[in-house]
Amino acid sequence: MKQANNNEVDLLLRALARERTSAAWQSGSESGYAKQVSSAHLDADELNSYAEGVAPDPARTRYTEHLADCEACRGIVVSLVQSAGAASRLEVPEQKGGAGFWQKLRELFSPTVLGYAVPALVLTAVIGIGLLALRQQQGVQFVAQNERQAEAPSAAQNKADSGVSSAAQPQATVQDGRQSGTTAELPNEKAALEREKTQVGQELLKPDSSVAKAPAKDAGQADIGSVAESRPYAPEPKAAAAPPAAPVLDAEKSAELAKEAPAKREDQARDRDESFRVQSDDVHGPNRSRSNTAQPSSQRSAGVVGGRGPSGMDKNKKAAEVETRSVMGRHFTREGDAWVDTAYEYSRATVRVARGSDQFRALVADEPAIRTIAAQLDGVVIVVWKNRAYRIQ
Amino acid sequence: MEGAGRLLGRATDNHGLTAETLIPRVKSAVDKYILRADPQASADVIQDFIDKLQADDLCLIVACEQGNQKAWTDLVERFSATVRSAARSASSNEEGAEDLAQSIWAELHGLRVREDGKPAGKLAYYSGRGSLAGWLRAVVAQLAIDQHRKQSRLVQTEEDADFDRIIQHGQDESTWSGHGASPNPELQISAKLAGAQVQKALAESVKQMSAEDRLLVKLYYFDGLRLREAGAVLGVHEATASRRLTRIHAELRQQVERLLIEQEGWTQPETARAFSEVALNLEADIEPLLATEPVLMKKENEVAG
Repeated sequence: MKQANNNEVDLLLRALARERTSAAWQSGSESGYAKQVSSAHLDADELNSYAEGVAPDPARTRYTEHLADCEACRGIVVSLVQSAGAASRLEVPEQKGGAGFWQKLRELFSPTVLGYAVPALVLTAVIGIGLLALRQQQGVQFVAQNERQAEAPSAAQNKADSGVSSAAQPQATVQDGRQSGTTAELPNEKAALEREKTQVGQELLKPDSSVAKAPAKDAGQADIGSVAESRPYAPEPKAAAAPPAAPVLDAEKSAELAKEAPAKREDQARDRDESFRVQSDDVHGPNRSRSNTAQPSSQRSAGVVGGRGPSGMDKNKKAAEVETRSVMGRHFTREGDAWVDTAYEYSRATVRVARGSDQFRALVADEPAIRTIAAQLDGVVIVVWKNRAYRIQ
Repeated sequence: MEGAGRLLGRATDNHGLTAETLIPRVKSAVDKYILRADPQASADVIQDFIDKLQADDLCLIVACEQGNQKAWTDLVERFSATVRSAARSASSNEEGAEDLAQSIWAELHGLRVREDGKPAGKLAYYSGRGSLAGWLRAVVAQLAIDQHRKQSRLVQTEEDADFDRIIQHGQDESTWSGHGASPNPELQISAKLAGAQVQKALAESVKQMSAEDRLLVKLYYFDGLRLREAGAVLGVHEATASRRLTRIHAELRQQVERLLIEQEGWTQPETARAFSEVALNLEADIEPLLATEPVLMKKENEVAG
């Protein structure tokens, strides 16, 4: 109803304006500018001060009174206001471009900007402090876990010191030794295979190796506190608990290889001895019960089980030395009745080749080195050659 | 003296003026804007007024008035574009704009000489309250009106006279142009009479409004400005102007009803009905105007066919 009333007044006012305009035409005026500027009209200074909004209040009231009834002065004021608006719009980019450092600084710290910026900063600070507190709380929980974790390696370390062998301890120690020692001696192809094996092995042994490295580094110090500090958020080492069989085997292999690495000269001498023995075998014919290849069952069992069992470190070293062979640049370990290439991963598929079969002959024709390996190692031989694993039996 | 000194100190280029040369101009501005409306204005008000004067522009103009040739060159160089722009806005053609722009400098300098021997130009009327560019635009606009007045045979009319005439016309029902919706001549005459009386009351009500509200009504309805433009003239936001206009509608309605009841003896229902009928008639007035062009086109097509 109120809006309808307003619309009616609006229509009436429009009609009144039309009526006045048509009457002005009838009276001879041609346009709004046709009004005579009398002495009562505002001068240019007053018109301009009104248009720019700088006239003092008493004067402005007086001018408004005049402008409400004087079309000529009103027309000038309207044109001045519109010109000033257009001029200011044109000047805006120039002002922005030429704004000085202090002006920008003032704009940056203006109350309008600060009105939004201060609450945003406070909110950000609160969120940041909250996240920090949450993180610290989680850190406290991790530290508590690490203390429990640290106890396990320390127990293992104590066992090792007291002559009780732990799987984790030699595993990590020799793995580092193997990586640093043997790889440098191998040919390029062997080195590539070793790197691949190392990557795969690290993935498989990640929980073990990542944890075991720290005790290995500090093995001599046996400083549990430093271990806990060096890896404050480390997951609980599996090696400290019941280690799975496969990692233990790898650990044994690694231990053996690593043992070889520091004793490089011993390996070379042993290779020379082996080649001498092969030569003598060739003379005397194949003898699968050679003492240098077939280990005594007591030693064999000691070598295989040694890593798992509670035998001492010295026994482990001895077993590793006995159960390891190197032929044609490949390193093999004795596992049961089989010689297994140290580069072999148990997850890898093997190509079964029977000795004396056509397939075997074809293989050794292409790779004579495999013939030598198969000849020097009796029983089942698993060898990795050119990135393929062969099970010769 | 102190204010003039501060004014001179604020100027980037004082053109070699002294505070003494500025005192008459500053005093004139204070009289015009402050003391004329409030002779008892405080010293703080006057000081604030002086401190808000455009120091650079005022010094430039006073220097020009003093005959400083360099100041004149500076004035012409800086404001030639402004004067030409204002002249183009005030003139209907390019030639007239060029003539106007050329004559403005002579008007500023003054062709006659005052009693003190200085040129009687318009420069003496710049107070420094507003910007020099705005003042020059206003001078150009006034000069354009003067020139137009001289070239035309004008009949001096005042807008108050316009309203008086409308009010006078309102007494004659035959002048009301509202189209009656009813085919009955008696009802049509009655509607016209009611419409004329409503218009007369409305014109009187507009005259009785405050100057600020009346100016808004004039700017919006009579000058055809948009609300944003009208608000800019009044120094208020478009939204403020809109709210003010809504209030004005309500107040005008009440005032018109009061006048019709008191002066014409109408009842409240009659005023309400009159408003509705007049509005209906006005809407009917607009429709034929909107339909004129299509009808003419249709007739032209029929003739062509």
